[in-house]
Amino acid sequence: MTSLVMARQMIKRFYSKYEAFVLPIIKFLIGLVCLLIINSRLGYMSQLNSFVIVLMVALMCSFMPLNFTVFVAAVFVLGHMYKLSLECLLVVGALFAILFLLYFRFSPRDTIAVLLTPICFIMKIPYVMPIAAGLLGGPTSAVSVGCGVVVYYVLEALIGGAGSINSLADEEMTTRLKFVIDTVLSNKPMLAFVFAFAITILIVYGVRRLRIYYAWFIAIGVGVLADIVLLLIFDLIFDTHVSGGSMILGSFVAILVGIVLQFLFFHVDYERTEKLQFEDDEYYYYVKAIPKVTVSNTQKKVKKINSSKKRSVPRED
Amino acid sequence: MTRLASYEKNEGKKNEAIGRYFRSDYIGWQVLKSIVSGTICFLIIAAGYVVYDFENFMMDIYKIDLLEYAQGVLKKYVIVVGIYAVITYIVFAIKYSGARKNLKTYAHNLNKLSREYNNVE
Repeated sequence: MTSLVMARQMIKRFYSKYEAFVLPIIKFLIGLVCLLIINSRLGYMSQLNSFVIVLMVALMCSFMPLNFTVFVAAVFVLGHMYKLSLECLLVVGALFAILFLLYFRFSPRDTIAVLLTPICFIMKIPYVMPIAAGLLGGPTSAVSVGCGVVVYYVLEALIGGAGSINSLADEEMTTRLKFVIDTVLSNKPMLAFVFAFAITILIVYGVRRLRIYYAWFIAIGVGVLADIVLLLIFDLIFDTHVSGGSMILGSFVAILVGIVLQFLFFHVDYERTEKLQFEDDEYYYYVKAIPKVTVSNTQKKVKKINSSKKRSVPRED
Repeated sequence: MTRLASYEKNEGKKNEAIGRYFRSDYIGWQVLKSIVSGTICFLIIAAGYVVYDFENFMMDIYKIDLLEYAQGVLKKYVIVVGIYAVITYIVFAIKYSGARKNLKTYAHNLNKLSREYNNVE
């Protein structure tokens, strides 16, 4: 455990020392992964599939705020949708406009949640998101994660229905538009996941803010259980057929990720809790202080060993 | 002192921007922005609905009482935007009180630090 704590402190020190370099690299990687995933899943517009363009845009993302990455990802998706059909572009464009208005009103700093939610869905670990967002974010993270869920399910529905959309090329525009809207709205798992994740985030956030011992651990446990129960309830309501195996496996991964986040961001030693009382001119303070777990740096002692000692040579008179 | 500097660098900037407003001005401005964005969202959804049901809409447009139809749409608009505005009011009222509380604590700690410096001198 001590070595893990030391490693965490080393990472923190390294990050604070080289923040100017580490942050752009992280932003670059997030941008690159997002754009590559969008191109691999959609990939209808050949011009956007070029690795050079992806690399250049990811490099631009590295020096811009993270919200720029969301904007660029949206532009890439709309480009691919345009190539698929004009109706898809209109529907997805309208949806993005509504999501952007919602997202930028309430949680404009939760960019990472918006970007990571679809990525976690693709990696088959979506259950990580409500736990992580509840632990590290606020109640408005529910909006960001909800936006991510909607984007993932809408795009998956359109990818699945791409063949049918193309086969309707000879039909009138309104017929095609109606088909696209039907494809998007008939997505029942989307509603189940949006509601379940939003409620789970609020529960995790509420529990981890409680003034109780091991609040983060309890929040992780309660959150995972609530997520499973809510998904089962919404499964019955919306008839979504959520896979039980992937839910249990995903929840297990969510617990592991939650424990890692707890170790990185809220590692405290409850056994050394102190209760203090003091006062100043204006207030009396009744404080319960729980120390963070830290390891003092090992002092390196450099011992100099002189191989050639000066010897006193007897003088000859 | 480190925590004060950290607060000043990160959350402090945001809270200071909020703290410059009076409560009613800040929340009123946010609610106004929400009404505008809610109106845009409503228009997008309404346009989508019309396009989705375009054939029936065009067939019924001469049969329906337009005034009653407009009243119905307006009622829905007021309900949707009203709910959105109320949610905005609650969220930003909590945000404002949190920011003021943090700024008060920050100012209090800053005074304390300044007194400690004076005592040392």
